[in-house]
Amino acid sequence: MSITLDQVTKHYGGVPVVTDLSLDIGDGEFFVLLGPSGSGKSTLLRAVAGLTGIDHGRISLHGRDVTHVAARKRGVGLVFQNYALFRHMTVADNIEFALRVRHMRARARRQRRAELLRLVALEGMDDRLPAQLSGGQQQRVAVARALAHKPEVLLLDEPFGALDAKIREELRRTIREVQRELGITTVLVTHDQEEAFAMADRIGIMNQGRLLEVGAPHELYARPATRFVATFLGAANLFLARRTPDGIQVGGKSMGRAERSPGAPEHEVVAVVRPEEVEVAAARDALSSRYLGDGVIDEVAFTGALERLRVRLDEAVLAPLLASGDGDGGTALQVTRTRHAHRGFEVHQGQSVAVGLRRVHVLPTPLSSFTVCAASAPLADALCQQPLLAELVARMKTRVALRIEPSLGVADEPCAAQGEFFGTTVIAAEGANAQRAEWLLRRGVKDLLVLPAHAAPPQRVLIHWMGVAARSATLAMSASVLRHVPAEAVYVGIFPGRSDSERHAHGMRELLDARSEAQAAHGLEMRTELHFGDVAQELTRRLAEAPAQMLIVGITELRQFAESFRALLEGGRWPVLIVQRGAA
Amino acid sequence: MSFRKASVLPGFGLTFGFTTFFLSAIVLLPLAALVLSAASMHWGDFVRVVSSPRAVGSYRLSFGASLLAATINAVFGFIIAWTLVRYEFPGRKIIDALIDMPFALPTAVSGIALTTVFAQNGWIGRYLEPLGVKVAYTWIGVTLALTLISMPFAVRAVQPALQEVQRELEEAAETLGAGRLYVLRRIILPTVLPALLTGFTLAFARAVGEYGSVIFIAGNLPMKTEITPLLIVIHLEEFDYQGAAALGVVMLGISFVILLAINLLQAWGRRRHVRAAH
Repeated sequence: MSITLDQVTKHYGGVPVVTDLSLDIGDGEFFVLLGPSGSGKSTLLRAVAGLTGIDHGRISLHGRDVTHVAARKRGVGLVFQNYALFRHMTVADNIEFALRVRHMRARARRQRRAELLRLVALEGMDDRLPAQLSGGQQQRVAVARALAHKPEVLLLDEPFGALDAKIREELRRTIREVQRELGITTVLVTHDQEEAFAMADRIGIMNQGRLLEVGAPHELYARPATRFVATFLGAANLFLARRTPDGIQVGGKSMGRAERSPGAPEHEVVAVVRPEEVEVAAARDALSSRYLGDGVIDEVAFTGALERLRVRLDEAVLAPLLASGDGDGGTALQVTRTRHAHRGFEVHQGQSVAVGLRRVHVLPTPLSSFTVCAASAPLADALCQQPLLAELVARMKTRVALRIEPSLGVADEPCAAQGEFFGTTVIAAEGANAQRAEWLLRRGVKDLLVLPAHAAPPQRVLIHWMGVAARSATLAMSASVLRHVPAEAVYVGIFPGRSDSERHAHGMRELLDARSEAQAAHGLEMRTELHFGDVAQELTRRLAEAPAQMLIVGITELRQFAESFRALLEGGRWPVLIVQRGAA
Repeated sequence: MSFRKASVLPGFGLTFGFTTFFLSAIVLLPLAALVLSAASMHWGDFVRVVSSPRAVGSYRLSFGASLLAATINAVFGFIIAWTLVRYEFPGRKIIDALIDMPFALPTAVSGIALTTVFAQNGWIGRYLEPLGVKVAYTWIGVTLALTLISMPFAVRAVQPALQEVQRELEEAAETLGAGRLYVLRRIILPTVLPALLTGFTLAFARAVGEYGSVIFIAGNLPMKTEITPLLIVIHLEEFDYQGAAALGVVMLGISFVILLAINLLQAWGRRRHVRAAH
């Protein structure tokens, strides 16, 4: 591995900028770190270059641990957005800077300089001053300068940000060619997804200091695992869909059997449909894909090669649409069509059309929507305003259903409302918490969030499960929650009895297993802690240590809940998310 | 060749005329009067006055101490400016404001204050005395006073230039393998050198013309701690206006030559950059 990051964490004044980030970048790979501004991608790059220290974790370059090595001894080349050329030096002096520092002989320097100038196609520019070059040429000089000392790693920090479109494309090609010719491991930071697609072997997508997903560009585009990646990498229509034994259903219509999961009980999921996977036709019969419903063309925009449409769906079908386009609320479906499709069926504003979906991708996240459950409507409304819930709903672009259960918590009373509990059920921590939680868990609720009235988004999320059967579900839920709140994740492994060397070794093995599963299967980076003693006591002690913490617990049977979490819930001091997955 | 360049702003004629008039009335005319006044002397008298051992001694002290003060200020002004630009610390704004104090203080007050501190029984002077270092009433005191009153010029000239040195340049140099001293020598100093020279020039010019603060701390021993401006005042008090004018002309000449030399040096530095480009 060329670059290995292991749980790299960086805070600025207590605010996490990069959180527990682990990543391997292979030899000769062109890796693009993509994310919105403020996602921590530039900080990460500077940490690799050694210009920013890190608070936790390790950085290795070609197997050498450089966590505490100064920037000048790391052997990396760095290119800045604003070129950062030495303005009082000629192009030649700029390029030879690293060689002079290393006391290379004049003749060898000249030779290397000629090589580099040829590489970036700037032959004969040796004696110019930076001010006499265009922006594109200056950035070429900066690239040549960064490569002069034959670094093992080339880092590019938004190198095209200050250039106009045409030059940008040209320089992109040059850099890609240079990279291939030298076979140098390269990391590019950008917020431009088009740039990322054009250059990357692999893309890593960052948001709020976390690395959400890593993969080849087409993989990430076709099969994103998270809402953020789905909407950040190109446009996406998000639906609340249902996974049934027979396949995926959107708005009550079956959308194919491709993603079947036989055996799993029917449940709510989040589905992604790319704008180009939506088909419009004059009538249902004319569709070549699966019919979703009827709609009215809201807007037609011509963008050259493609035509963009916004289609307002009929009320009945609109309901499951969560968000479309750039997250402007679920009001209209976004569609793009080729010129070819346009010639086949021309549309105009206000026209009624039949809408079909060619390909539906289901996100693996267990967090689909929220159902706020309370004994009365005013209580439910109040809970909807809870800051943590409001934040989660906004970030997830999802919706909240209300469910009034007047006899909530009264033993042996049946549910008042009909049907299942959609998504994650939420109740307020306002007394008799354990009793009400148990009442819901007995009546089919799988995921239950108990929220104190004023709990804000947490800074640390503690994770624990009782029984291996709940492990995978708990990790999946934790990973989903942590994509939407910038907190650190800590798995608290608690084992009964006192610590001795044998138990300790066993515990450590369990922790390592948990960590590697979190990493491999759920893309979740978490720290681990080992405790011995009573589960509820240890968790309570740990939660009380610092403010702004949240607990996610997995249970396999209600008996565990009754035994261990009654006391913990009764205080109602922390947000607790209970994940119930039976072995049965 | 056209005298005036095309400009979008009208009124070049008016403003240029005003500039010429203003400069003539308040700069050139008095200077001409000075030269004329000196020119009415016999050549022999002129030479006798300006080359008397007392006069020569005063030149040496005036220009020597001024150059020394300007050099000290170039070095420490750079460091102060660096601290103010690069670091955030409590009281930074206050220190930044303190820099301008010597501008605002009547120079005589500075002189009296310095004398209080550095006289043989002063706060600091009494501890220097046993070490054999005398500050007040020696050339050291003169240099000290000149350094104090010319300090703001150096700091204020370098500050904006330092602000323009981007952090990124240093970081780029660092990733290319340069150590801190190398970065200072090859990146920072060359970038701020023109501003540093300007600061040096301004500080020097200010120091040469200084009178008020020096006379208190200098002790004014002829040949030893007597600066040229004081000698001029002494001539005036003896109603020897011509002698005073003669000394004035010499000061004017030397100052002009030194300032011209520094300006040429700067111009040469700029040209060297441009030439390197072709």
